[in-house]
Amino acid sequence: MVSRVLRGRLLLDHIGPTYTEVLKRQMESSASGAQDRLINKVIDKGLCVACGACVGLCPYFHYFDGKVLAMARCSRDTGRCVEICPLIDRGDIALDKMTSDVMNTPEIGPYKKIIMACSLDKEINEKAQYGGVVSSLITYALGKDIIRSAILTDAGDGYAPAGTVARSRSDVIGCAGSRYTASAGLEALNMAIKTGEQKLGIVGLPCQMEALTRMRHMGSDGENRANSIVLKIGLFCTWALDYRSLFADLRNRGLREPILKCDIPPPPAGVFQICTRDGWREFPLNDIRPFIKKGCSLCQDMTAEWSDISVGAIEGIDEWNTVVLRTDLGLRLMEQATEDGVVKVDDLPKKNLMHLAEASFNKKERGRLTRGEIR
Amino acid sequence: MKGISQRSGDIHLLLQGNEAIARGALEAGVVFCAGYPGNPSSEIIETLAEAARDLPIYVEWSVNEKVAVEAATAASFTGCRAIVVMKQNGINVALDFLTNLTLSGTRAGLVLVTCDDPSGISSTNEEDARIFARIIDAPLLEPTTPQEALVMTTWAFELSEKIENIVMIRSVSRLSHTRTRVLINELPSFDPRPHFDTGLSFHTFPVVAKHKMRHEKLDLARVLFEKSSFNHYEGAVRPELLIVSSGCAWTYVTEAVDILELSDRVGTLKLGTTWPLPKGFLKKHLAKCDRVLFVEDVDPFLEDNVKSFGADICMEIGPKEYMGKASGHTPSCGEQTPASILRVLGRLFSVDWQDHAFMDKVSPIVKDIAPPREFGLCPGCPHRGSYYAIKTALAWDDRDGFVSGDIGCYTMGIWPTGFNQVKSVHAMGSGLGLASGYGKLDRFGFHQPVVTVCGDSTFFHAAIPALINAKFNGADVLLLILDNSATAMTGFQPHPGTGKTAMGTKTDPVDMEALCRSLKVDVEVADPYDMLSTAKIIYRNMQQKGPRVLILRRKCALVEGRERGFPYKMRVDQDLCLGEECGCDRYCLRIFRCPGLVWDKHAQKAKIDGVICVGCGICSDICPQRAILREERE
Repeated sequence: MVSRVLRGRLLLDHIGPTYTEVLKRQMESSASGAQDRLINKVIDKGLCVACGACVGLCPYFHYFDGKVLAMARCSRDTGRCVEICPLIDRGDIALDKMTSDVMNTPEIGPYKKIIMACSLDKEINEKAQYGGVVSSLITYALGKDIIRSAILTDAGDGYAPAGTVARSRSDVIGCAGSRYTASAGLEALNMAIKTGEQKLGIVGLPCQMEALTRMRHMGSDGENRANSIVLKIGLFCTWALDYRSLFADLRNRGLREPILKCDIPPPPAGVFQICTRDGWREFPLNDIRPFIKKGCSLCQDMTAEWSDISVGAIEGIDEWNTVVLRTDLGLRLMEQATEDGVVKVDDLPKKNLMHLAEASFNKKERGRLTRGEIR
Repeated sequence: MKGISQRSGDIHLLLQGNEAIARGALEAGVVFCAGYPGNPSSEIIETLAEAARDLPIYVEWSVNEKVAVEAATAASFTGCRAIVVMKQNGINVALDFLTNLTLSGTRAGLVLVTCDDPSGISSTNEEDARIFARIIDAPLLEPTTPQEALVMTTWAFELSEKIENIVMIRSVSRLSHTRTRVLINELPSFDPRPHFDTGLSFHTFPVVAKHKMRHEKLDLARVLFEKSSFNHYEGAVRPELLIVSSGCAWTYVTEAVDILELSDRVGTLKLGTTWPLPKGFLKKHLAKCDRVLFVEDVDPFLEDNVKSFGADICMEIGPKEYMGKASGHTPSCGEQTPASILRVLGRLFSVDWQDHAFMDKVSPIVKDIAPPREFGLCPGCPHRGSYYAIKTALAWDDRDGFVSGDIGCYTMGIWPTGFNQVKSVHAMGSGLGLASGYGKLDRFGFHQPVVTVCGDSTFFHAAIPALINAKFNGADVLLLILDNSATAMTGFQPHPGTGKTAMGTKTDPVDMEALCRSLKVDVEVADPYDMLSTAKIIYRNMQQKGPRVLILRRKCALVEGRERGFPYKMRVDQDLCLGEECGCDRYCLRIFRCPGLVWDKHAQKAKIDGVICVGCGICSDICPQRAILREERE
């Protein structure tokens, strides 16, 4: 009996692929272009962190409701999408980190000064995360015409948060607060550049700051694009969450949108806090970890080393931010803002600096290990 | 067709096969005509509807083919001659009624015309509807020319009344759409006086007795067929080869025999009454020769039936070499052509019929003349906008969703013109039927979202039961009704939603939103030209549970073009256009693919083909550079 069944199977195998299989093979196109490389190496592997650098350069990528999506297939051999993606190995491109008169530590990267600061603006303090330094500096830079508009992340209007262009104090305050979900803010940058905007400021995650540095080396117009940005404020980041799967899960746990505010307090809290119209709710961080973007595990940059100013929380000092001033522009802006009474500054306690360096170093190590595993 | 309803006869008109069938029905005094549009059958009802302006007859486009036969049968039961018309697929829809009707029998002449589409030139299949004549035990007639179609149709009514059963006529695309000189006859007076004789009843019981009666009716038809002038033999008294053929294929046979000058070596048996077979007539001619070749369109219907009969009488006529589809002498599928028959006969008689010198000269010249062409939605077609929105929403959703398709112009969603979004197409209404099944698979871990599309006419035809099924069983279904306010693919016939009947009478249109709402199914309406907003609505609906209906409403571009015209004159600003550069890669041409957009080889940029473009303006929204400009028409 068994042998008969086997013989039957062998006979079928001998016939070869089924008609359906043959038709499917005929329909599959060979994939070898620039966009194909990005899709194969990043998107299809689930490594895209939704920085948005590739979105808005062409019609082939969209960011929608928390995801970067390939909408159609481009046939070009070369493309800016693959050149700017921070998840693609840099290859020969040497990116220029600033060199002169800076400290360059292996943990925190290049910087001129590390301090702690907080906003003196009550309205901002109410809405912003921790010290409110980012919102205050952006508002200040807009007011002083250091920048004409700023690329920020909105609160998401029925969808996941997304990039937006802020031109006024109220625009900035509307965007205040951390999102913790990847939200492709660079799409808004690309769209703004398309409409000819100049003197742009941008607030973004480390991956986005790296993409901006790659931008200068990208395609024929990378340099021009990069030159339209004058101020880059980077946010400390351990990882970002995948909006869709996270909120699908939280909805199942009875959470009702819209989200007013979220927070991941520094260790040892170990919780993810969300404020909705129903009030604050807490979820154990371990329940949230499955929704971390897979690509974030490859990242070796916690403190946004490619920015003018990097800003993050401080363990144990809720009302203040850690601020890493990396460039002359960053240093000058902070000095002016302090002089004009927008922010106040203080020395960062040594203990906190050591913690920061340790956490940053750990992220680099994890990233290096994971990169080895995945690649 | 001018003159189709003229009462006098004995003159010639230039008639299409379908018009000849219509005239034949009028000459038989038909008063009730029903059908559902579908290529190649549609012109029959259209011609009759035109005649209804001058003649006291009734013509309707029914909601589907089954209802069409039922409506026409009511006329027959009350003593009025009736004709019902459909394409081959329609017979499937009507079959349930037909198999019972032939048991109950009919009264006044009732004729069923099926127009088959060999090679599926504008069909989802190339079904051979003749097989159904056998299944339902109905006599089958196959005309070869428009003239014969006219005469045969008139006679079919007499036959139907003689045997008190429905009679089938099978046309094919080439006959239906061939136009020749046709001699018409006088029209009778139309005075039907319908009355249902309550002393009679029409049902199938007792089943076996009625089945027996049905066979007896068929035997009676056979007797009449034996003497029918629709069957004839032409050729040598003792031919080397007997060709048995019917329908259009017979005209190809005579052409091939002429070209190859085989008329004194070959005998041609033309059968017009192909079911039941005229056995006596057939036997006489089968005895003439030992080699028999069958030539017919699509399935080996004649071939199988004649071979079976040949086996019955083999002791009398001796063994034969039968050649046809089974033996591989003729192709087993696809439409017959004069060339396909030349090929067979050339091989059998060792005649080299091709002029190789001419072919060698011509083929390199014509090689590149005809560019490869793919199926495409018309410029301005709202379905392009619909599919672009669907494609966008499915990509945004990113759960490997797909479209379950249906029958209409939008079937082309299986091809690049519809962005290859449609992954299955079968029968009318089946897209939603399938979707209602996908919508219940979640319990087994199936989470791919399914969007199904159907046209407005298709919705009324067969999608409503599937929608009720989805509602009844709580299936997660998103139905997009692509409402272009016309049965566009078959030639703009009115349907229940258009507010007009086949005869042009105004009628209260069926409100499809209200119909859906009465099922407590959520209904929304969106504009397929506003692709981005529509995509967002589709996306939002895809995140919801249960059955939902979204109507994408825009008039068919061809209708809009005729009625009002489009507002824009389109222009590409080639300074802005990126062409093949990074940031575009000919997006409008490679991806959007409206035929109104063409490649300017010289400039290496896109441009508008002013002859093709209708000016709907939606391509402007997909250009990443906003280089396609909408300019108001003066």
